[in-house]
Formats: sequence, C-alpha cells, structure tokens
Amino acid sequence: MARIIGGIGTSHVPTIGVAYDKGKADDPAWAPLFDGYRPVAKWLAERKPDVLVFFYNDHATGFFFDVYPTFAIGLSPSFDLPDEGAGRRPLPAIRGHPEFAIHMAESLVNDEFDLATFQGRPLDHGCNSPLSMLWPHQPDWPGALVPIEINVLQYPLPTARRCYKLGQAVRRAVESYPEDLDVVIVGTGGLSHQIHGERTGFNNTEWDMRFLDLIERDPEALTRMTHAEYVKQGGAEGVEVIMWLAMRGALSNRIRKLHQNYYLPMTTAMTVVLFEEPDAAGRSAVGSEVVTHSRS
Amino acid sequence: MPPVAARSVRRSLRIPVHRATVANPQLRGIEDVDGTYPFDLRASVKAFNFNRFFWRMIEPAWRERFVRDEEALYREAGLSAEEADLARRRNWLGMVRYGVNFFVLEKFARVLRMSNPEVYAKMRGESFEAFLATRNVPGAR
Repeated sequence: MARIIGGIGTSHVPTIGVAYDKGKADDPAWAPLFDGYRPVAKWLAERKPDVLVFFYNDHATGFFFDVYPTFAIGLSPSFDLPDEGAGRRPLPAIRGHPEFAIHMAESLVNDEFDLATFQGRPLDHGCNSPLSMLWPHQPDWPGALVPIEINVLQYPLPTARRCYKLGQAVRRAVESYPEDLDVVIVGTGGLSHQIHGERTGFNNTEWDMRFLDLIERDPEALTRMTHAEYVKQGGAEGVEVIMWLAMRGALSNRIRKLHQNYYLPMTTAMTVVLFEEPDAAGRSAVGSEVVTHSRS
Repeated sequence: MPPVAARSVRRSLRIPVHRATVANPQLRGIEDVDGTYPFDLRASVKAFNFNRFFWRMIEPAWRERFVRDEEALYREAGLSAEEADLARRRNWLGMVRYGVNFFVLEKFARVLRMSNPEVYAKMRGESFEAFLATRNVPGAR
C-alpha cells in the first residue's frame, strides 16, 4: 500500500530557479535561501520517496485562459520544462508516474473531486523552481512527480476549505493504491507578496509567521478565511498559500515539523518547511529536534 | 458603468474599481485594499485577446516578430487601439487595470529585457533605485 511519509511547504518564486541555474549558492544575497533548502534535500535523500505529489499553480504558461482548470492532475510519463519567455531551464524533463496518477484521478473523481486531467503540458516555475532545490537531477531525477495544478490566478479560485478537502481526498487516493510507494506531498506558493498594482511590494512577516504556525497546529482556522482576507494579510498573489492547505489536508495531525526557513530579500517571502509523519520516522530517526532559521 | 466623472474621481483617489466583488463572496471586503485589481472572469473575458497576445511571448517566433515589428504584430493579433496603445507605451499599471494578468505581463517584460523588479517599480510609480531602497537585500535579483 502506498503511504504518505511527509509534507513540504515551499515558495515557488521563479528567481529561486534562476539563482540555482546561475550557481549562486555562495552569493551572500542567496546563501540564506540555499542553506534553507539543504536539510530538506538531505531528508529527501535519506527517505528516498518514490513519488512527490506536487500542488502547484501554472502561471498562464502550460495553460491559458481558454481552458483554465480549477484542479487538474498530470498523467504523463514525462513533463518537459517550458520556455516562459527567456528560454527553457537547463534541467532534465521531469519523470511522471502515469499508473499512480491515473489511480489518483479515478479515486478523486469517485470521491466527488471532479478534477481535470492533463498530458503533454510542461510544468512551469510554479513546480520547477523549488524542485531543483529539493532533488538532485544529474543525470536524471531520483523519483517521479505527480503534479496537481490549482487555479490561484483567475477568480473564482477554489476556497481555502476546498483545497484542504482536496488534500484529504488525495490522502485517501494515495492510501488506496495497492503498490508500496513512499509519497511526499508538496504544497507550493507564497508567502506574503504582491506583484501587481500600486500595492506591489507589500509584505507581512507577522502574518507569514502566524500562517506557518497555523498550518501546522490549526489548519482548520486557515480554511475559514476568505480570499479577500488572504489578500489583505499576505498580498494579492500571497493568496496562493491556499495550495499549502491541500498539502496539509493530506497529512495527519501527528506530523512533526523538522525544519523551517524564512528569507525575505526582495519582493516575496521565501520559505521552506518540512513535516514528517510518525510512521515514516519509525524506520529511522532524522532530525530529532526542530531547527528553525528565520531571517528577514 | 458609472459616469465618467465618477470614474475619474475614483482614479484620482487611486481607489480601484472592484468588479469582482459583485458576485463573489470570497472577495467581499477587497474594495478596502487599495492598489489591487483581482483578475476575475470579467477581466479575463474583456481582455482575452490582449492576454493571449502576451501569453504567446513564450513562443520564440512570436517574440522575434514582436522585436522586428511590434506594430505589425498588434495589427495581426487584432488588438484594439486602446490595447495597442497600452502595450506601445509599456503602461504596466494601465494594462493591469485594463484586465491583463500579471503572469502574462512578466512574459512581455522578458521580451523587453526588463526584470520583474523594474516592472514593480513602474507599477509603484517609483524609480528603480527608490524601489530597491525599500527592499531588505536589493542584491538578491
């Protein structure tokens, strides 16, 4: 039976990918970001999950507004990286897991999550910018990825509560898969930022910290917030943190936070958080204490 | 549609027109957030062709044609006079207010060899240097 061994919340700012591609790990302006991902990459290298289920949003790259699905799961054996206006990132195509993804789609639709399916569409920075920090990928990626796209661009967006319920349904889908797969759930986006209108440049570290606390301890409180409240607190584009609720919904209430990093150098508060399920820890003990690094 | 005078008063107060609140309870109260323009289905329908024009900047051939003769591309894409004018003037805030989604605008910025922070400064009505001075680590870009 497949099982969920942990969850990761991460920003997906495109500059994370640019900094990676330009090799800026030792640049003082970027080192706090790279350092923040290392413990998570190490945990993944030790736990060796077979699949990452990635809640992400497409930024009008692989999907356009002619058809812009609220929820869509990717079924392809391989996902390319797109040209988002400045050329394709120099990473290998990302391996998918059609059999598992098809099972997930069947389970979710029968569970009344009537999501769309997609094939042959590339995964943009919403997925690929944090991915290159998490997994080594030369000559190839160490596992497969099942992308679940969420509309956080074009209102009406799914409610925060709906995203949380999607995560719960994803857990049922994973746990009903007969093959032994270790799965890590990744929620992307945020934290606070606004990048359109005169309010561009808005951040709210106090809110970001409250969000990081609530996502762990009281996600239900976050499901009661409206999009307008998210926009007020975390900036217009910060509303995308509802995708973290999908990740959190797929986790149990027995998770432990092993790591958290927060870095706000420019316009978006960039963070990465690692949660582990107790069952996963049963086989080995990594990170016996919470290590939190916060910088602003 | 409010009379022109009312609209220009609102603009002069920098209070955006929040069409999105009309029907969507999730957006109730967003009219209190200045300088914010939710991209909703009304904007998406109004600016569908304009958004597609920018979306196509992910195609190298479309980018090359823009660089070679942007006026010809405006005509071929069937942009309205107002749309072509907004693009021609690189009126970033105007395009957002019109209904262009930021994530296709950033593709336009790539073609113009502008960074996102440079676009942000324009939308804030600041010089690039003034915008960078408001950031914690201006070198992280």
